[in-house]
Amino acid sequence: MEMVMIAASIILGLGALATGIGFGLLGGKLLESTARQPEMANQLQTKTFIMAGLLDAVPMIGVGIAMYLIFVVAG
Amino acid sequence: MTKTRTGLIRLPLVRWLTAEGSVVLVISLLWSLESRLAGYSALIGGLIFVIPSAYFAHRVFRHQGARNASLMVGDLFRAESIKLALTAVFFAAVFILMEPVHVPALLFTFAVMVAISPALRWFLRSKPQR
Repeated sequence: MEMVMIAASIILGLGALATGIGFGLLGGKLLESTARQPEMANQLQTKTFIMAGLLDAVPMIGVGIAMYLIFVVAG
Repeated sequence: MTKTRTGLIRLPLVRWLTAEGSVVLVISLLWSLESRLAGYSALIGGLIFVIPSAYFAHRVFRHQGARNASLMVGDLFRAESIKLALTAVFFAAVFILMEPVHVPALLFTFAVMVAISPALRWFLRSKPQR
């Protein structure tokens, strides 16, 4: 039971950490590119949005598995 | 790319949602061949992805244009946090409140939607006008 909770915590924590780093880099690049080419801002925003979907794919699945571990396996 | 009078982009949000909803329905129908519970669980799994994702898209594109770049990035971070939190809450609610649930169908549909949704958005994105 404790091991399952620890596993779920590690999944959620590492997922959040990786998403935070990834979104920090992505947002930084968006700001940098928008400052360099302001006329491209809207296109860059759309591309950032699509990349954000790719970036949070694995953490989202991790959240699902962690919730399964917490509420079904351990619960 | 569809532009409004103010020069802002009108997003193909409805097209994205329709495409994602159609994929969810197809996967649910395929799962319902196994059992009715599996089809229902697959539908729920797809909705757990589509609803936070629609909120994310709506929130990210609230501000547009180079003058609002910092607001754009702030909204991106806030929208992502809320999206992950909503997903966790929806999963928790399903596992607590929905009994019985076909877990493989639920997680499979969710994972498939997470994987193919960026591709769908890429193909249905607004094209820039030259």
